[in-house]
Parts: sequence; C-alpha cells; structure tokens
Amino acid sequence: MPTSADFEAADRVSRRRARLLPVLGILFIAGQPLYFANSGVEASQVKTYAWLVWAVLLLAVLAFAGGHFGSAAVRALVEDELTRANRLRAYAAGFWAGSMATIGLYGFSLFDNLKGRESLHIVLTVGIAAALIRFGALERRALRDG
Amino acid sequence: MGEALGNRLRDLRAERELTQAALAELVGVSRKTINTVENEVFVPSAALALRIARALSRPVEEIFYLRD
Repeated sequence: MPTSADFEAADRVSRRRARLLPVLGILFIAGQPLYFANSGVEASQVKTYAWLVWAVLLLAVLAFAGGHFGSAAVRALVEDELTRANRLRAYAAGFWAGSMATIGLYGFSLFDNLKGRESLHIVLTVGIAAALIRFGALERRALRDG
Repeated sequence: MGEALGNRLRDLRAERELTQAALAELVGVSRKTINTVENEVFVPSAALALRIARALSRPVEEIFYLRD
C-alpha cells in the first residue's frame, strides 16, 4: 500500500515530467535549422549521428520517463491508468503528425527531388516532437487543480 | 454506442469531506487521475470505477451513469 510520501513523490515526478517533455519536443523541432544549416540538405555525419542518438533518447524518454524513479509504489502511481492512456493518445498524435508530414513531403517530391534520409529525418522529428508535446499537454491538464 | 459517462464523484467526495488527494490515496491512484475522472476528461476502466466505488462505500452505478 503506498504511503502519503509515495503519493507526494509521484506527484512531484509527474509535474516534472509534464513540464520537461513539451520543452524537449520544442527544442527538438527548434534544433532542426542547425541540422540543415550550412550544408543545404546534405548534413554532416556528426550531425546525423547526433540527431539519431537524440531521437532514440527522446523516444525512450517518451516511453519510460517517470517509470523508473523511486520505489515500486511510486512507479505504479506515476505510471497509473491515466498516464498510460495519455501516453497512448500521445503516440496517436505522433502517428498523425508523422503521417501529415509524410503527405506534405510526398506532395513536395512531385515538384522537387527529396533525399530519403532527409525525408525520414523530417517525418521522425515531427512525429516524436508532436508526441512529446501532446503527452506533456495532457499531463499538465490532468495535474491542473479543479 | 457513443454515450458519455457522467459521474457524481465531486458531490459524493464532498459529502464525505474528502479532498481529491485523500480520495486518490484511498483508491491507490494519483490525484490527477481522480481529477480527470471527476471532470469527465478521462473515462476510467471498469476496475478503477469499482475501486472508486469501494473507496466511497457506494454502488458503482450510484457514482457513474450513462449520459444520453
């Protein structure tokens, strides 16, 4: 049975996560001009690997953040039914955003040449960022008093 | 299909002079879960609805109802 301290700790972790995830999503999008800057569409290998590591880390954060802090009781509270539902809704938002980006790129490719890696980069960036922002927004709304 | 699930959670909680946090502790979920159920933002699973009913010592159908 969780103690009062467990409930307080879970609340703290949830609030921190709800604040952090949208910021990470926005930074991920905002960092993209750096990726494409100075090299046109052809990004350097270093930038490519850095982005790849960043993308994988953000996916891990989206899937697991908050689920590995504190005791089993705290983890269960942080990852309760509502959080799992919010995460599924965030995944759906990521899917739709990625699909919309794909459609946009497909349309663009009718008029201009697109490289495969850059296309994948854009689709993944949009999808991951959308999911992070959506998850954070849902969690923040849930945490609001009322 | 498509009916929304309404609830009388806020009234029943107030009747027992419980805060959202206190009810959350009785149910064993986070306060935000109680908050979103109460505000009808989140539709709880049958298991969670039964746990809330047990914590309030009320039949589940007295707390949750189908909104036409």
